[in-house]
Amino acid sequence: MHYALYMASAIGAVAVYMMMPRRGYTPSRIGGLLGAMTLGGLWLYLAKALPATLGIADEAFVYYYIFSGIAIASSVRVITHTKPVYAALWFVMVVLASAGMFLLLGAEFMAMAMVIIYGGAILVTYLFVIMLASQDAGEASGEKGDYERLPYEPVAAVAVGFLLLATLLVASFNPAPANPAARGESDERIIATVLTDRPAKRLAEHTGAGVEGAPGLPTALADRASLYNTERIGLDLFRGHPLGLELAGVILLVSLAGAVVIARLRVDPQPDGGDGDAAGRLAADAV
Amino acid sequence: MDDRAIDIARLIPWLPALSAVVCGVCCTSRKLRVLAAPVCIAAIAAAFVLTLKAYPHVFDDHGHGVFHVSWLFTWIRVGGFTADMSYYLDPLTMVMLIVVTGVGTLVAIYAAGYMAGDRGYARFFAAVSLFIFAMTTLVMADNLVLLYLGWEGVGLCSYLLIGFYYDKPSAVAAAKKAFIVNRIGDLGFALGIFLTYHQFATVQFSELFQILATQPSEASTPVQIIPFLLMLGAFGKSAQLPLYVWLPDAMEGPTPVSALIHAATMVTAGVYMIARLFPLFELSPYALPTVAIVGTATALFAATIAMCQYDIKRIYAYSTISQLGYMFLGLGVASTTAAVFHLLTHAFFKALLFLTAGSVMHSLAGQLDLRHMSGMRRKMPVTCWLMFFGCLALAGFPFTAGFYSKDMILADTLQKGLTGHSTLYTVLAVAGLFVAFLTAFYTFRLWFRVFMGPTKYEMGQEHGHGADHHPDGVSSDIKVEHHHEPHEVNWLMNAPLLVLAAGALLAGYLAHHWIGDMIQGSSARPLRQAIGAHGAAHHATLFGMDLHLAMMYISSVIAVVGIATAAYFHWLNRGAADRVAAKWAGLVRVLANKYYVDELNDSVIVRPLRFIGYLCFVFDRLIIDGLVMTVGFVPRMFGLALRPAQRGALQGYGIGMATGTAVVVLLVLMVYF
Amino acid sequence: MPETIGLHSFILSHFLLTGAVVFALGLVGFLSRRNLIVMFLCTEMMFQGVAISLVAFSRYHANDTGQTFVIFVLTIAAAEAALALGLVVLLFRRKRTLDALAWSQLHG
Repeated sequence: MHYALYMASAIGAVAVYMMMPRRGYTPSRIGGLLGAMTLGGLWLYLAKALPATLGIADEAFVYYYIFSGIAIASSVRVITHTKPVYAALWFVMVVLASAGMFLLLGAEFMAMAMVIIYGGAILVTYLFVIMLASQDAGEASGEKGDYERLPYEPVAAVAVGFLLLATLLVASFNPAPANPAARGESDERIIATVLTDRPAKRLAEHTGAGVEGAPGLPTALADRASLYNTERIGLDLFRGHPLGLELAGVILLVSLAGAVVIARLRVDPQPDGGDGDAAGRLAADAV
Repeated sequence: MDDRAIDIARLIPWLPALSAVVCGVCCTSRKLRVLAAPVCIAAIAAAFVLTLKAYPHVFDDHGHGVFHVSWLFTWIRVGGFTADMSYYLDPLTMVMLIVVTGVGTLVAIYAAGYMAGDRGYARFFAAVSLFIFAMTTLVMADNLVLLYLGWEGVGLCSYLLIGFYYDKPSAVAAAKKAFIVNRIGDLGFALGIFLTYHQFATVQFSELFQILATQPSEASTPVQIIPFLLMLGAFGKSAQLPLYVWLPDAMEGPTPVSALIHAATMVTAGVYMIARLFPLFELSPYALPTVAIVGTATALFAATIAMCQYDIKRIYAYSTISQLGYMFLGLGVASTTAAVFHLLTHAFFKALLFLTAGSVMHSLAGQLDLRHMSGMRRKMPVTCWLMFFGCLALAGFPFTAGFYSKDMILADTLQKGLTGHSTLYTVLAVAGLFVAFLTAFYTFRLWFRVFMGPTKYEMGQEHGHGADHHPDGVSSDIKVEHHHEPHEVNWLMNAPLLVLAAGALLAGYLAHHWIGDMIQGSSARPLRQAIGAHGAAHHATLFGMDLHLAMMYISSVIAVVGIATAAYFHWLNRGAADRVAAKWAGLVRVLANKYYVDELNDSVIVRPLRFIGYLCFVFDRLIIDGLVMTVGFVPRMFGLALRPAQRGALQGYGIGMATGTAVVVLLVLMVYF
Repeated sequence: MPETIGLHSFILSHFLLTGAVVFALGLVGFLSRRNLIVMFLCTEMMFQGVAISLVAFSRYHANDTGQTFVIFVLTIAAAEAALALGLVVLLFRRKRTLDALAWSQLHG
């Protein structure tokens, strides 16, 4: 299986490189075909080893192939498209496809959040920026003046990226046997120790009352499966990660303030290359 | 008890030290410069007065010498090791202080006139003050480390003053030579101090002498080595045989410096040191004979060289070496009294001789060559007679200072030879007598050549030439006169010479018994190897007379014969001198070239050392530097190879980062699977 | 409940494959594209790949913390988008170009 994964990574690397934008003829169709064949071949190869019980509905697994194919193809388009606007739109496709996969995995809340936050908020911001920072006519019209005939930079980038991919894949298809505690069998035990409401348990030990009887505590943890996905995430977020939640809030606040400051900077345009006094020019406007 | 009245002596070194600072400040301004001489003279004179005030306190009620330790401040205290800034005052110290501050005052007064108009006027007096500080510290030190401080201090001042005319290459070379040659001796001295502490666990004189008084006569080998190490230091500082080469060259310094440092005081530090540590030298049966032999050999060696030199100051320099040899002979026969006595009288007459030589030079614009002057007595009568007195004393003419002290050394040597039936000491005494003849001859050769005969002279070649010069053109009436006519020097310069002349004539007679009392009352008193030098029974007789009396007659005759010989060859019949010189041309050439010692040193020591140094240099350049350069070169090559990777483009760095991540993940995979 | 637990690890690997591919493509894009906006888009795509992996793990381990982490990832992504895009606009105003190579003064 390792060699299949390595080979698929190598061929995929060639395919992506072929699709990379360059001056002159770009064999993007051949590359796309090659890439699609590689992915399909890999899936077919892997399908032979599919277990009897997937742990997921068979129909759902068919949808996996669809969403995954869309996600990967859209990703390739994001990085190979010469126009930022189209790249951004293809990225929306990536987001949508991954949201579909989240649905397959029973993570409805995350799927919706993805679509709303990524597809709605962040991508719109990107589009605004693309609009604000509109390039000159040549590049905006998709002309490939900036690209090399045989770009060497993407070679290194593709090589490194797919080297990393290969290692990740090998790691993915070979779950570490050394640590049984991290495998599915003992998950319930881990959940029991990690997610049990410890203050409530301690309180119960002191008062002699049962966990269920502690005041104000839902019985959620005892019967998690009966809760909706959103409820479970809410519980996990607020009960398991209060500090992380606060920090996330702080980060958002800081980035908000930072964005405001950056937006208010007054900058003199310097078309002919930068010089040393950039810091001076970046001084904040004293309004 | 006015015991602490002696504490006033603690100020003696510090007044000149203060003066050195003040003179140093005076260096900074042309207007302040003239203050330097009065300040320096006042400081040294005050030190002299303090010495006289402290003088009565080193004797107890019965007139016996006692010592005092006068503590000033804590200098070094490490564990059990103590070396404080504290002073050891006993009669020997007093003798030395009187010489140093007394002669120092006179020389400083002379120098005030001599150095007038010199560019380095204030610098000169600052250095002289510093020298007096170091020298008084040396003679007053109550421990070996402080003595060493003073020892190095005088060495430093000597270096500064020899190289006073630092724009003259020969002066700089001479200063360097003095410093380096002294280093060799000082190394021995330092090792001697270390060994002393190692053996006796103290470097303080009072404790050391207490321990030594109870030592068995046969000391252990390390203890016996100590005097030899200390001796090395003394030989260096006092210009004895292997290490004398620096002193003749030291005459590059201004003449008052030659008089003060290189004749009267600093060079006698070695004599003082051996006298001070005499109990230590007595512990080895071989140390004192070594000192005696080296002293005599030096005396003979330097005296013969002095015969054929033409430079006045060089003649006196070799004469100084020769006389120091006498002092070491005196020490070597355990006659510290005679040695210190000769030190005292020598300080007077040699200072006088140097200063009169300076006067001659001064009036002849730097001319120092005997062959280019004659009959100067008509031009400079006062100088002529002052130098005459000095020459008499040096030649050991009856009843002058040198007569008494030299006689005492020779008589004690002979006595030791006769009473101990030791051929060695008898030979040394005879050699000493021969040196006395040579001394009388070369001294008066110089004097007759310079002052007698027909008057003719060549002026020195302007300022800035000759052994001494005034490097800058600041107006000075003395110097203007130089160009026209030799002249008598002014009385500011002659007055101190009169005092010195009086000392040269009378010090021997007056101090004759005094010095004996002084030494007997100090640590220099011979304990074990005493020869009954003074006050003890005189066993030996010569020609049926008391040995000292006989020696007086003998040395009187020798002095007179020497003077007469010089008078014949160098005054009455100078042609005969030339004929004799022509007949013995080979010998004269060897002597004139100082036995080729400098050349020998150059080829035997300096060149091999320089070659080794060159080897070290090559090694350093090729191997050490090569290593260092290689160490530097490899990363630089790496940098050169990697430099293109730093394109400044964001992606370049990103690729590096991602590669690193991929490699780490790969490694993790390899570990796990 | 059979649908929430018991996801076979081989199926998990499939999801991880998708996540890894999306992540790697994002990385490749970040390293090869010179347009600043596209580069930041690629970083968002790398986040996306990580998010897929996290959700898959969450399902596999029946552990909701994986999804919670996706929320944090979203937070960071949003903060980054706000700041980075602000900077991109700033840089563009300065040089009138979005080419990353225009800012390579630090080359060796």
